[in-house]
Amino acid sequence: MQVSALRLLGRPGAILAAAFLVLLALVALAAGLLAPSGPLEQDLSATLEPLSAAHPFGTDEFGRDILVRVIYGARSSLLTAAGAVLIAAAVGVPIGLVAGFFGGWRDAMLMRAVDVLLSLPAILLAMALIAVLGRSQAAALLAVGITGIPSFARVTRAQTLSLRTRDFVMAVEAFGGSATHAMVRAILPNAWSPILVQIVVLSSIAILLEAALAFLGVGIPPPAPSWGEMLRTGKTYLYEAPTYAVLPGAVLTLTILALDTLGRALATALDDRSAPLPEIERRAA
Amino acid sequence: MIGAILRRLLQIVPVLLLASAGIWAMIYAVPGSPVGAIVGENATAEQVRAAIVRLGLDQPVAAQYWAWLGRALHGDLGLSIQSREPVLALVTGRLPATLQLGVAATLVGLVLGVPVALASAAWPGSWLDRVLSGWSALALGVPTFWLGLLLILLFTVQLHWLPSVAAYVPVWEQPVAALRNLLLPALTLGLYVSGVFARFLRASLLGEMGRDYIRTARAKGLRERDVIGRQAMRNALLPFVTVVGLMTATFVGGSVVTETVFTYPGLGRLLLQAIGVRDYPLIQGCLLVILVIFVLTNLAVDVLYLAIDPRTGARQ
Repeated sequence: MQVSALRLLGRPGAILAAAFLVLLALVALAAGLLAPSGPLEQDLSATLEPLSAAHPFGTDEFGRDILVRVIYGARSSLLTAAGAVLIAAAVGVPIGLVAGFFGGWRDAMLMRAVDVLLSLPAILLAMALIAVLGRSQAAALLAVGITGIPSFARVTRAQTLSLRTRDFVMAVEAFGGSATHAMVRAILPNAWSPILVQIVVLSSIAILLEAALAFLGVGIPPPAPSWGEMLRTGKTYLYEAPTYAVLPGAVLTLTILALDTLGRALATALDDRSAPLPEIERRAA
Repeated sequence: MIGAILRRLLQIVPVLLLASAGIWAMIYAVPGSPVGAIVGENATAEQVRAAIVRLGLDQPVAAQYWAWLGRALHGDLGLSIQSREPVLALVTGRLPATLQLGVAATLVGLVLGVPVALASAAWPGSWLDRVLSGWSALALGVPTFWLGLLLILLFTVQLHWLPSVAAYVPVWEQPVAALRNLLLPALTLGLYVSGVFARFLRASLLGEMGRDYIRTARAKGLRERDVIGRQAMRNALLPFVTVVGLMTATFVGGSVVTETVFTYPGLGRLLLQAIGVRDYPLIQGCLLVILVIFVLTNLAVDVLYLAIDPRTGARQ
């Protein structure tokens, strides 16, 4: 653990990425203190204003400050991603544990269920779920979370399979420990490093997917500030106010790149060889 | 090997059944009545009664699903609520546009991604490798809807060279017009996928470089270019082909974001429009067709892999 933390510290890219993410999280947390106005505060006398000292990112079609909305958008983006990854891990990790530990029909059934989630590109699965659930923040969170379940299930299953026959796991069972005890106390603590890598990788994919859904007009509904929604509306004002779409998109891109960088550095530092063939990218394109 | 292929076939049957059942059950999960979801909330009492009889909605749920699946297998996906046209015709009408963009994007991805991977793998750890790996990470990480907007700002708003709205023009009918329309969306999607290709191929090439046959080839005095380009490439190509196949399969319907940026008339946008107006028969039809194509392409890629490399059959 200490060794891997040190190895992570030796990578300037990872430090920079982590610093950016910490800053973003702080800004999102302190949005109410930092922002001079509310994210929904309109000023119809100052619509689509260019960049200025009063409005560093300009204003939108209702005269709302775009920087303020980017800051509040960070909050909803990070919260949605965190919630989605939590759902994906809470469902996916137990699936992988049970499938890998017991094998047999439980493995076959659970993995076929996971295959069903993989039978559509992630963005289409999310869109289908939203078509059923209706458009809301909760629906976006749930839909993004469900698309992440297979990654956790597969990684955890692979780890469980390789740990299953190790002495310390066999010992738990030999001394009469229950299967649950063996899974939770013996296997899980030793399988955490690839799961941790998945958490970071999936956060990036979740932020992108949430923004993509909002960009398509099926994500978090307006007027709530969301990066994807700002790109969607900004697209209609490319001639009048090109920075409207460009700046929120730049913040989104930096966030995704920072998480990707951190994920790669973490995988190298933890010497994660859990995926012999890198998993196919399940990004929204 | 035949056994392995049969096993894969047996695996996808329950997946297809379960996923299609999920798509079918959508009309039960949405607010309102299932029949309302199929004929639209503005349908007359007569239309509702006719639909109940025609679709067997008074039958038990399992029987309804089988009947729906049977009709779907015969190409009857019902009528769109919005346009009253057969869903199958609407969906297949979008396939050529979707395929054209998908193939174009894959080609762009290969042209941009493969040389990057080869150069990276030739000098691993060098400054060139670091720059190229950084480039791949960038290509892969930048959201297509932001990149697409930047390209529109440059090529449409600033330079007035290319249209921001990409129409579908069949490439074999009007190649020049098709290229003009396809360039920006294919570049957007292709840049992204070039990052996926480059990273994957680099990793597989480096995996091969440590093997004995590479040492033998070098010892024989083969030029480094040939060692990588011919010897290592031949074995790295196998997993790479599957990745290219899987990404192309993803583009069937899965490039909805890029299609939306450029208002391109593909399958993904048809689904998006259908969701916008709650046209459930059309939503179900789009999802079902994409599901079948996606799962079958995945299967084809797996079978191809087994066919080229019989070891994978034994390992499973």
